[in-house]
Amino acid sequence: MAGRPRGTGEDRKRDFLLTAGVILGSLIVLNLPPGSKRSARLFLRETVLSPLLGINGAITRMRERALDFDVLRAQMDSVTGLVAAARTLAEENRRLREALALKERERHRVRAVTVIRTGTPGAESVFLLDAGSEDGVRAFNAVATEAGLLGQVQEVFSGRAVAFDWSHRDFRASAMTPDGRAHGLVEAVRGGFREQDRLILRGTAYLSDLSPGEELVTSGRGGTFPRGIRIGWITGPAETSAGWSRSYHVDPAVYPGAATHALVYLSRVAEPATVEPDSAASGGQTDPR
Amino acid sequence: MNLRVFLLCTGLVVTHLLLHVALGLGKAAPDLAIVALLLASRALGSAGGAATGFVLGLLEDAFSVGSFGANVFAMSVTGAVAARTRELFVGDSIPFLAVFLVLGKWGRDLLVWVVSDPAGRVPFNDAALMEGPLLALYAAGAGLLARLLFARGPLSR
Repeated sequence: MAGRPRGTGEDRKRDFLLTAGVILGSLIVLNLPPGSKRSARLFLRETVLSPLLGINGAITRMRERALDFDVLRAQMDSVTGLVAAARTLAEENRRLREALALKERERHRVRAVTVIRTGTPGAESVFLLDAGSEDGVRAFNAVATEAGLLGQVQEVFSGRAVAFDWSHRDFRASAMTPDGRAHGLVEAVRGGFREQDRLILRGTAYLSDLSPGEELVTSGRGGTFPRGIRIGWITGPAETSAGWSRSYHVDPAVYPGAATHALVYLSRVAEPATVEPDSAASGGQTDPR
Repeated sequence: MNLRVFLLCTGLVVTHLLLHVALGLGKAAPDLAIVALLLASRALGSAGGAATGFVLGLLEDAFSVGSFGANVFAMSVTGAVAARTRELFVGDSIPFLAVFLVLGKWGRDLLVWVVSDPAGRVPFNDAALMEGPLLALYAAGAGLLARLLFARGPLSR
């Protein structure tokens, strides 16, 4: 196959300069400061890609509504049973705390959101939420599903927020066993393939021997994640650090790709926790729990 | 660029955005944006190819928190290089197009890997040698199918 030259020398020179200019521009975009990158991403999402994100959100909500009624009924029955059992427990707990002069436990307002995932390169551990700054969502709020901790909000805009799930390299959560016997820090470790990504619990005391199947919840240390959200279950030991600490592999409670609906833990409140439903799904009514 | 190529490339980009952004299919859907870029670049010249790549890369990077700009750079370079192939190879035969699309997609993924944040990217062997060729074959297959279905005859006419 023979090539064919394009244009005159002048045309080729102009073409070369324009090409070099565009590639230089792309290098400038690559090295923009984080604030400018954030603005550029927001502009693209809110203009060209906004209708497509709207379609994505609508499809996700339709998928949620197509859930089997029997499954939803069974979940509702389980929750009703738990709430009924917890009513007397809460009163007992309140009296005991009063007797011991302990402070009231922290409670959080909760906002129900739809999880929107895109399949573009570079967005593997990132998802969008259909709630933003006017809903009280703030950066670093915890995002959880009914199964456990999903991730953390990173960027908040009007009407939308960007979050990453536990498989992101920057994800960290302080964790403990429900009885408080062992504490540590949970982070993601990359598998050979993204499907093999899992969590690891680091920094537990050397003498705290955890067995496979033990549950891990957030400890609330550092104040980022509320205490008591399920993270996952211990699957086995990972490594030992010179007789000082142990690490364990953790089977996550939530698989990010399966999440379509989640709760964002908003600011702390003094009164009993409430759930604000997903505004896109229910017209923005507030439903106290 | 003639109308047939323009319509084919526009259709591929719109389909790509629908599959990846609206339906969120991820790697289950072929990368039709790179197919559109490679086909358009051969008709547009290197400056046009680089500019098209720049715009498509920006759209791809709209959800990239860790490595914003990696797709912009990779698509711009791929568009410019793909346009230069017209001076080296003439013709739109199916075997040529298949090799062109596979190498274009693979090369673009390698470029994205090179300029991405080292802390967030997958190991080189998995990205370049395991996943890369498969995704390139998938994109090339989809591109050839679209070419045969919607734009019969030589593209550069």
